[in-house]
Amino acid sequence: MLAIELVIQGIVQGAIYALIALGLVLVYGLLRILHVAHAALYTLGAYIGVIIVNQGGHIIFATAVAMVAVGFVGIGVYRFAYKPLLDKPPLIALIASIGLFIAAEEIYRIIFGAYGMSFAQPPLQQQIELFKGFHLSTARISVVILSILFIGVLGWLAASTRTGIAWRATVSDAGMAASFGVNIEKVRYINFFIGSALAALAGVMVALLNNLVEPTMGAVPAYKALAIIVLGGLGSVRGTLVASIALGIIESFGTIYLGHVMDRDAIAFTFLIIVLMIRPQGLLTRR
Amino acid sequence: MTKIFKSLSFAVFMALSLPFAAFADSIKIGFNAPLTGFAAADGNSARVGAELAVEQVNSAGGIGGKQLELVIYDDQASPKESAPLAVKLITQDNVAAGISGSYSGATRAAATIYQESNVPYISAYAVHPDITRAGDYVFRTSFVGEVQGRAGAKLIGEMMGHKRVVMITLNNDFGKSLANGFKEKAGDFGIEIVNEYEYSIKDREFGAIVSKAKSDEPGAIYASGYFFTAGPLVRQLRAAGIEVPVIGQEGYDSQKFIEIAGPDAEGVIITTSLDRDSADAVTQDFISGFEAKAGYPSDMVAASAHTAVLVMADALARAADESAAALREAIAGASVMASTGQISFNALGEVQKDVQIQIVKDGNWRHYAVISDTELLAPPAE
Repeated sequence: MLAIELVIQGIVQGAIYALIALGLVLVYGLLRILHVAHAALYTLGAYIGVIIVNQGGHIIFATAVAMVAVGFVGIGVYRFAYKPLLDKPPLIALIASIGLFIAAEEIYRIIFGAYGMSFAQPPLQQQIELFKGFHLSTARISVVILSILFIGVLGWLAASTRTGIAWRATVSDAGMAASFGVNIEKVRYINFFIGSALAALAGVMVALLNNLVEPTMGAVPAYKALAIIVLGGLGSVRGTLVASIALGIIESFGTIYLGHVMDRDAIAFTFLIIVLMIRPQGLLTRR
Repeated sequence: MTKIFKSLSFAVFMALSLPFAAFADSIKIGFNAPLTGFAAADGNSARVGAELAVEQVNSAGGIGGKQLELVIYDDQASPKESAPLAVKLITQDNVAAGISGSYSGATRAAATIYQESNVPYISAYAVHPDITRAGDYVFRTSFVGEVQGRAGAKLIGEMMGHKRVVMITLNNDFGKSLANGFKEKAGDFGIEIVNEYEYSIKDREFGAIVSKAKSDEPGAIYASGYFFTAGPLVRQLRAAGIEVPVIGQEGYDSQKFIEIAGPDAEGVIITTSLDRDSADAVTQDFISGFEAKAGYPSDMVAASAHTAVLVMADALARAADESAAALREAIAGASVMASTGQISFNALGEVQKDVQIQIVKDGNWRHYAVISDTELLAPPAE
């Protein structure tokens, strides 16, 4: 029974990782940029969500506003930080991204305060008994359902719509796609919008789980999401999803049975190293 | 034209040198605290607490007619920052003494430098045992982790009467030293430690630990942490249907903990230094003065920094002459009523004072009990 509980807790955590890592893998697939500042957008989403709910907004409205607003901020990040650097080596964009991330943490601290923010009346805290003696809050269940929903819609978009096809064409060969009349710039904007909106969703969800939004809450996802997309085989969306859930479950068991030897991050990176030793191409092979 | 320029530059020169002239009649105290970065919340509370103490001392006439002055630097809770800042404070700012409003890593690094320069240094709330071992110029006005851990064992095993305890330990020096003290005395109070889980300071998500702790069916949970880890932890424990008492320590001691954990904070009990319901005037002045100055209720780090400044001011007033050695002597012989209780030091420079037990009641920290067992609370002496 305990094992099942730990798996479920792992899936909840994995679903959050998936939402964050997806944006990262989308950007990497398209631009070959390691978008570290993505985690700053996740933090921003969380702040917007908490502020709107504390002003009396409904949680669904708050989540929607956070996703749309952060989506546009994501477009801004691409337009003003990455686009001017596209003809430079990817390392330059990475450095810009790290700088942006550090600056964002301090900006949040100055604007929103060092103490972090909490919901005055946290929504979605009703407990649901999944099976005897095992309670999950509505927030936890929502995390999983919303992740499946949004990732499912995204998969459908990519597979069956014109925009999705244009996006996939741009990922595999941008020059070729452009010569067939795909508006690459538009694809990139949509890409950043969707990735950033998902990060904002993850931010609001984490705020619901912990009831604490801090300027530095992006620090762990910033590097863990990088590990996840490497695990998934850089650029593979499906691999990233599998890696997210796998990592969530491994951390869940690891904190209990290995916690006195190494902490959660050490467990995650040990797992990463072992996987890379056995399968250097990542969990799921591309092609 | 040149004449105008000359008189202008003279005026500017005079204006610039005025503050320095004023400072000649002040006594400078160095203060390092994390004002930016992950620990900025604690650092800023500590800063306000220290500033409040300086204002109180100065408005009461200062030290022998001289005003106290804090020289404040941001150490980002990092030894990389605090060590060069300590050098700067001692060699360039010529401070008479230093106070740490920072965490253990930063405080340890600075303590070594203060000791080497023979300038007295007081750690306000850093817990690492090695800080005072830097030498005889270094003092601490807060408990080492072990002392509070022992108090926690007495609280749970004897005063509350719970014998099956699950420990959730923060795996840094703070959490580990608390856990050591707790385990050292747990047996004496009949406590069986069912399991111990560790987490890192970056964790806010405790789903797995909560599930496992629930299956352990403890009578109480002893969880170390800071308000930003303990708030989410308590909330998640309660959300999983765990109703047993949660016992924490001074790291919880902030209104922010209650804000994060919300109604789930009710009944959480901690060992700490600040008694909100103290009848003592110094403590009450601090509590009301801090809230007026900071705009939010007082917390442990602020009270600790406030205490450290008052202890320093008291020693400055009593010191036989202006030498660092005389100041050190005066601190060592301190017996001061401060915002965190009656303060005196042992041979190592560790504080001897009571442990306050506080409980969350109706959304506020309230008095629950006090532990004055000097044998149990004896700090390390070497």
